[in-house]
Amino acid sequence: MKHSAVTPLKLIISGPVGAGKTTFVSTLSEDPVVNSDEQTTEEIGKTHTTVALDFGRFVLQGRPLHLFGTPGQSRFDFMWEILSEGALGLLLLVAGDRPADFPQALSILRFITSRNPMPFIIAVTRQDSKGAWGPEKIAGYFAVPTTRVIGIDARNAQSSLGAVTCLLSLIEGSTSGNSRNPFHSTSHSTSNSNVKEST
Amino acid sequence: MSKQEQIQVVLAGLNAAVPEIKGSLLASLDGMPIAYALKVGTVDPARIAAMTATALSVGKRTSESLGAGTLQEVHFAGTEGRIFVYTVAGRAALTVVTPMDTNVGLIGLEARDMVNKLLAII
Ligand SMILES: Nc1nc2c(ncn2[C@@H]2O[C@H](COP(=O)(O)OP(=O)(O)OP(=O)(O)O)[C@@H](O)[C@H]2O)c(=O)[nH]1
Ligand SMILES: [Mg+2]
Repeated sequence: MKHSAVTPLKLIISGPVGAGKTTFVSTLSEDPVVNSDEQTTEEIGKTHTTVALDFGRFVLQGRPLHLFGTPGQSRFDFMWEILSEGALGLLLLVAGDRPADFPQALSILRFITSRNPMPFIIAVTRQDSKGAWGPEKIAGYFAVPTTRVIGIDARNAQSSLGAVTCLLSLIEGSTSGNSRNPFHSTSHSTSNSNVKEST
Repeated sequence: MSKQEQIQVVLAGLNAAVPEIKGSLLASLDGMPIAYALKVGTVDPARIAAMTATALSVGKRTSESLGAGTLQEVHFAGTEGRIFVYTVAGRAALTVVTPMDTNVGLIGLEARDMVNKLLAII
C-alpha cells in the first residue's frame, strides 16, 4: 500500500480556454499527468481541450501538493464546482494577450470563490507575446491588489513554481487570519448568471 | 438529407425500437451536442453533452488504469433511472436514458446496433 504521511494540499488551477492550465499542471507534475484533453470540434485556436480535469502532483519542501486543473469552457462549469470542493487555494490563469477572455476569467473567479471561498492568485501567462497585458494592468481589470497578480510562462517550471509559492504564502497568511479576499466580502449570489452572460 | 438529419433519424429509430427509452443524444468528445431526441423536456442538451464527455473521459482513464482495456461504455444507475454512454469509435459519445426497470441487455443490443449505424454516417 502506498500512502503519504502528510496530508496533501489541494490547489485548483482554473481560467479560460487556452490560458495554459493543462500546460501548467504538466510542467509542474512529477508523475505523468492524468489528463483529459479531447480533440476540439470548435475553433478555439488549438487542437485539444480539457473535458474533465488535469491531475498532477509534486512535493514542495516536503509537502505534497495536488494540482487539479479544470476545463475552461462554461459548459463544463459543473467541473469547476466539483474540483473546487476542498481546495485550499485557487490559481486563476489568464492569457495576457487575450483580453477578450478576461470576462470569462472573471466569471470563473466569481463562480468558484462564491461557492467555495478560498484565497486566490491570478497568474498572467503569455507575457512573451506582443501586446500582452502585464500583471499590474490585470490587477486593475480584476480590481485586486497587485500582490495578487503574477506574470508567468506556464511552459517554464521555475516560473510556474513562482505562482504556486505565491499562492501558498497567501494561503498561510489567510489561515492565520489575515485574508483580505475581495470576493469574500461582496455578496455574490450563488447564481451563475455572470457565467452565462459571458458565453 | 444532411448528416445531422440522418443522425436524428437513427436516434428517433432507437427511441421507437425501445419505447421506454426517455431520450438519446449524440455528442462530440469535447462535449458539443451533435443531435438528440429527448422526450424529457427540461434537460439542456448542451449540459448533457458536456457531462457525458466528462464521464466518458474519466471512464476511459479509469478503465485503462485498472487494466480493463479500451473503454466501450459507461453506465449510471440512479434510484429513478439509468444512463448508458457508449463510445462511437473514439469519435463521439452516444447517451441513452432509460427508466430503472429497463431490460439492460436489450438496450445494449439496440445501442450497439445504433452505434454501427451512426458510424456509417459520421
Ligand atoms: N508563448 C507562450 N505560450 C504559452 C505560455 N503559457 C502557455 N503557453 C501555451 O499556450 C497553450 C495553452 O494550452 P493549454 O495548456 O491546453 O490551455 P488550457 O488552459 O488547458 O485550455 P483548455 O483546457 O482548453 O481550457 C499551449 O500551447 C502552451 O504551450 C506562455 O507563457 N507563452
Ligand atoms: Mg486544459
